[in-house]
Amino acid sequence: MHFSEDDLREALKRKDPGEGFTQRVMARVEQAKAEGKTKPVNGNGNRSFLAWWRLRPAWTFAVVTLLLLGFAWGGYQYSEYRHAEEMRIAAEKQKQMEEKQKELQAEAEQAKAQAILALEIARAKLNHVLQQAQVPAGIEKIRRQRL
Amino acid sequence: MKRVMGMIVGLALCCAAARGYGQDAKIQLDSLNKLSDKAARVTDVTLDGSLLQFAVNMIEKADDGDEDVAQLKSIMKNLKGIYVKSFEFDEASQYSKADVESVRSQITARWTKIVQSIDKRSNEHDEIYLLKSGSGEHVAGVLILVAEPKELTVVNIVGDVPVDKISSLEHHFVINDKDSDKKQKKGKSHDEE
Repeated sequence: MHFSEDDLREALKRKDPGEGFTQRVMARVEQAKAEGKTKPVNGNGNRSFLAWWRLRPAWTFAVVTLLLLGFAWGGYQYSEYRHAEEMRIAAEKQKQMEEKQKELQAEAEQAKAQAILALEIARAKLNHVLQQAQVPAGIEKIRRQRL
Repeated sequence: MKRVMGMIVGLALCCAAARGYGQDAKIQLDSLNKLSDKAARVTDVTLDGSLLQFAVNMIEKADDGDEDVAQLKSIMKNLKGIYVKSFEFDEASQYSKADVESVRSQITARWTKIVQSIDKRSNEHDEIYLLKSGSGEHVAGVLILVAEPKELTVVNIVGDVPVDKISSLEHHFVINDKDSDKKQKKGKSHDEE
């Protein structure tokens, strides 16, 4: 399709809007304003929500503060729990080690008592035999044997 | 190369010999266990390896100033094992010659009988044997066998046993860290005397 210069001039020339144009425009503007207040524009929900918050900074601050306090309290509780757990495990390990130490100590004490008892019997019997054998210098004899 | 091989073989033989002597010094006393049922009082001490080391460590910790403890330490330090079986019976003839023989039969030619005492009146037979180490410089083991009518005692000590020190030990061992022990041991020794 080809437009000539005259066609364009004809199309773009001034036209009279007719009587009451200003009133009609103003009436439409008022109508648009009224519609805008009562009916939210579709697809702009988030924007209006944010706008709500933006209009209420005290509420926003309160909610954010509550959230931060909640996180801080939760973190503190968790760290306390972890600490208590670590302490409990350490105490258990310590207790086990102490028990083992006690067992070893008791075992060592028993071994010592047995060794002393054995040497006591050895001494008694050795001297008894030497006495029975009437070996006056029995010890000297044994000493010589050792050398 | 031959020299090195010779040294290795020599070392191995020495080790084997030392091991052999160590094993010879230990007398099996398990055959006497059956007497436990008949005995009125049984003393059974088996102390070797880690247990003996425990005992040595405990004695090492005891007070150094005490003469008895010092003597005890010097006795214990080279021991490898202490085995005692003592049976006291209410009546005579509760054990047989075979029981004594089961111990005596293990005494090889390397053992030397130091003392023997036979008292036919009281029917008592006592023996002390020594086993010398390979070099002959040290004692590798001692066996004390006391067979009385109502008592049979076998003491086998493995290691470099300072017999003279054992016999000259006071008839109580005083370990300062345990007064109760002290009293107990004193009591026991007096009982045995």
